[in-house]
Amino acid sequence: MKPSVEMLIEKYRNNLYVMAFSVCKNTQDAEDVVQDTFIQYWAQKKEFVSEQHIRAWLIRVAINKAKNKVNTFFRKNTLPLEDYMQTLTFESEESSGLFEAVMGLPEKYRIVIHLFYYEDYSVNEIADILKLTQGNVKVRLSRGRMLLRNTLKEGWEDDE
Amino acid sequence: MTNKEKYKMAFSAVCISDGFSLEVEKMKKMKRRHIMGTVAASIAGCMIFMASATVAYAMDVGGIQRTVQLWIRGDCTDATVQFDGDGTYSMEYTDADGNVKSMAGGGVALAPDGSEIPISEEELMEHLMMPDVEYKDDGSVWIYWFDQKIDITDKFEDGVCYVKLVKGKETLYVTVKYKGGYAVGPHKYEEPDWISE
Repeated sequence: MKPSVEMLIEKYRNNLYVMAFSVCKNTQDAEDVVQDTFIQYWAQKKEFVSEQHIRAWLIRVAINKAKNKVNTFFRKNTLPLEDYMQTLTFESEESSGLFEAVMGLPEKYRIVIHLFYYEDYSVNEIADILKLTQGNVKVRLSRGRMLLRNTLKEGWEDDE
Repeated sequence: MTNKEKYKMAFSAVCISDGFSLEVEKMKKMKRRHIMGTVAASIAGCMIFMASATVAYAMDVGGIQRTVQLWIRGDCTDATVQFDGDGTYSMEYTDADGNVKSMAGGGVALAPDGSEIPISEEELMEHLMMPDVEYKDDGSVWIYWFDQKIDITDKFEDGVCYVKLVKGKETLYVTVKYKGGYAVGPHKYEEPDWISE
């Protein structure tokens, strides 16, 4: 199966954007990543077995592109996160604090945490997307949670 | 409230801008730019390296500089090439009339997982060994590969020309879009639609 790119843009663009933003910490880079990801999909001759397969593929591609953005020597879009946060409207101070705490995590923990808590992926699925072992994902998830717990105190439940 | 609910609430503040849209036609154009990014060096290069006689002699501003012997428009010439380590190069050479010429190029390749990888020095060298197309002031169009010079002016049909180049056991299939770029394939002719404007 290969659904139209227009349909996928409508359905996944915001999720991919949030995923990319959580890696890049920058709106312009994140939009570029979303754009490039859909172009990649459009250009692929690859057939997919299910919509879950497509979703996982889009997320994996977006993560890789976002990592490349972060690592590129010529990175131009470097608006500080604090400045961007000023433009966001959070439902509560707790939400704002959680957002800031997540964005302060090391990238490798942040990505796993985001896939688990935002995209609702299981450890197995995250391992498959990131090409990691399940054990590795569990370790990253555990350390990410611990860091969030240390930062947010009672604002983050112990759900391991 | 669970951690997942808190997390989703916090990140609900992040939304892609309303102005973001991606039309298929626009994507097709962008795809072409990507494709051409991978072969930018061959198009911008306009020269052909000889396989041997390269000497690395300097490291400066983070790049590697080499002197090489290359075929430029059918003539064997010495040139200095600076590989910048980020998938780009610049070079200088003296043409047959004694004028110093400079040119630059580079590109990225798309990995199977979708990530972009700056092409390596070795890949740049391969690109630079690709054929070159020249549009002369007299209106003629020529294709060059090593010491081969072929006039393809009259071979265009509907703005596209297909040229098979053979050197020993090596064969290349070149698709030339009149004043619109060209693509080189080792096994078959590339579709003209994928050639950048």
